[in-house]
Amino acid sequence: MRVLIIEDEPRLAENVARTLRETAGYAVDVAADGQEGLFLAESNTYDAVLLDLMLPKLDGMQVLKRIRESGQHTPVLVLTARDDKESVVALLNAGADDYLTKPFDLGELLARTKALIRRGKGQPSPVLTIGDLQLNTVDRSVQRAGRPITLTAMEYRVLEYLAHRPRAVVSKTELLEHLYDYNWEKFSNVIEVYISGLRRKLDQDSEQPLIRTLRGQGYVLQG
Amino acid sequence: MRDSIQRRLIATVVLFQSLLTVSLVLVGVSDTFWRLLSTLDTSMQAHAMSVAALVRYTEDATGNVYFDDTLLPSSIDPNHPDLFAVWADRSGLVARSDNWPQGLEIPSVPNHHWNFEWNGVPYHALRVSPVPILDREEGKAFRPQTLRIFYAAPTIRLRTQVRRAGAFIALAGMLLLAVTVLLALRGIRRGLRPLQNLAQEAARVSAQNWELRLPEEVSQIKELRPVTQSMKQMLERLQRSFEQQRQFLGNAAHELKTPVAVMKSTLQSLVQRPRTADEYRTGIQQSLEDLERLEQLLQWMLRLARAEQWAHGALRRDLEVIDINATCEEAIDRIRNLAQSRNTTIHLSTNGPVPFRADPEDLQLVWANLLENAVRYSPEGGSVEVAVTRNDGGPPCIVFQDHGQGIPPHDLHHVFERFYRGDRSRTRATGGFGLGLAIAKALVEAYGGTISAESEPGRGTRMTVQLPSTGRN
Repeated sequence: MRVLIIEDEPRLAENVARTLRETAGYAVDVAADGQEGLFLAESNTYDAVLLDLMLPKLDGMQVLKRIRESGQHTPVLVLTARDDKESVVALLNAGADDYLTKPFDLGELLARTKALIRRGKGQPSPVLTIGDLQLNTVDRSVQRAGRPITLTAMEYRVLEYLAHRPRAVVSKTELLEHLYDYNWEKFSNVIEVYISGLRRKLDQDSEQPLIRTLRGQGYVLQG
Repeated sequence: MRDSIQRRLIATVVLFQSLLTVSLVLVGVSDTFWRLLSTLDTSMQAHAMSVAALVRYTEDATGNVYFDDTLLPSSIDPNHPDLFAVWADRSGLVARSDNWPQGLEIPSVPNHHWNFEWNGVPYHALRVSPVPILDREEGKAFRPQTLRIFYAAPTIRLRTQVRRAGAFIALAGMLLLAVTVLLALRGIRRGLRPLQNLAQEAARVSAQNWELRLPEEVSQIKELRPVTQSMKQMLERLQRSFEQQRQFLGNAAHELKTPVAVMKSTLQSLVQRPRTADEYRTGIQQSLEDLERLEQLLQWMLRLARAEQWAHGALRRDLEVIDINATCEEAIDRIRNLAQSRNTTIHLSTNGPVPFRADPEDLQLVWANLLENAVRYSPEGGSVEVAVTRNDGGPPCIVFQDHGQGIPPHDLHHVFERFYRGDRSRTRATGGFGLGLAIAKALVEAYGGTISAESEPGRGTRMTVQLPSTGRN
């Protein structure tokens, strides 16, 4: 998953980014002002945007409106110092999906971000089930037919993204875009490595392969 | 709540109506009395003439008279017989009524009316003279006599009638009064209803709803217009200051929450997993810096609150007469480090000592805030000029001139607002909270002075402080 943080307080942005990277294994981009944030949000596909309201150059409310005007469905979690009813209502009406008031708990921020990403991809449960495969997004554990499978961090991230879009064809570019921050072009060859590693671990005791390759198109996760 | 418009109006109505009733009763009673009395007079005159007609000459030639009482007229009031007496000028007393009271004094003036009381009975009396004797036969050779007649009738009935008329008028007056009061009450209630409506509408105004909606029957009343107008103006003023307070609170909350949020996230991410000693040290160092920033902000806010409290007279302080030049030098000293780090020079010019009654700490703070602002927005290696002037003991004027990029016109109105920052990214870099100028303004105003900003974009900004002549007592 790839998340954009638009926050002008550099330390806060860094702390949030670190938590998302370390604890959830997300790729994170940080923008320090509204203009940069809007540019990044419009030129990349993110799985979630964390948006501060008081921003230099372009304030958060405007960024939010412009993101929604451009027709993006990316879930937006607003970080705000104001928790009065009017501003919360205004936020949600402007297209925010959720909000957190500062000072917030990093654990809560993480949980809300995960929930937003999940719901944004039409998955109500934190435990994703594809056939006999079970992927728990809370503790990041994977089981196939009741048998626990140990994955590396990158393998998990690839599988998590595929599991959020079951039965859909996911291209290599899409995977790269959602698994790495803005430097993703550098990593274009590693996806095959992770896919083959995943296949080996997932299909070990099973006759039916979970991940199929559609030549020239991408990968499909199907039970 | 002891006085009420309704009570006052009713009291006025009652008073006037009562006066009217009393005067009506007086007029009615006297009119009735005089009319009845003149009627009584007329009939007494007639009775007196009837009595005179009963006086006859005797058949002989002496010219003596006698009284023929067979045709005596009946009394005017059947319950109280009339009194009469007839005298002839030669024969003396001719006749008098049976009930003639002994010792009754009769005034000697002719044709006279008067009242008297006898045995508790009030009488109206009449004297007629001279009256010729009607029974006169032609050719009789004697000198005719004339008569003098006294006639009195009791006025008991007349008085009763007058009293009744008076009572009737008084009763009618009182009934009228009662009706008038009732109608007036109704009218006043109806007339005051717009006031009640206005009160109800005013009660609906709250911090959530500032609009005073005026019902048509209120807005159409001329007398209420000054009230409603000043209410509306008052509400507008209240709303403005309320909004300002709310905005200040919101801004303050935001400014306070940001360093707290940063600190919290730093510490939380430190304990998320085991870290190296270096990482811990950096995290704690950062948290300390954030804590310092928070502390500084709190201090600024407290200063602002204190300055405003003092401006509103809620604080008492001991002041001394000081020289404004000295406070400027102190302030320049205070920001020396900042000025040196930006390679900025500060020039102070003055035309002699300027005594002023103040707390020197306040003035130093004002100058330091203005200077800090000027230095921060000056280019590296620039200069800032401070000029203290006072002409002939007039009010002191202190001017701060920088040669920075200036303030855009749309920001210039707002620079003294609390937490206002024209461009947040730049001020973050310069480290301000947006409170320095607000505090300077609050303090200057607390001393009864004014502060203003002029700016030419690209050329620099000039801040002017005008203080009153002597300072604050």
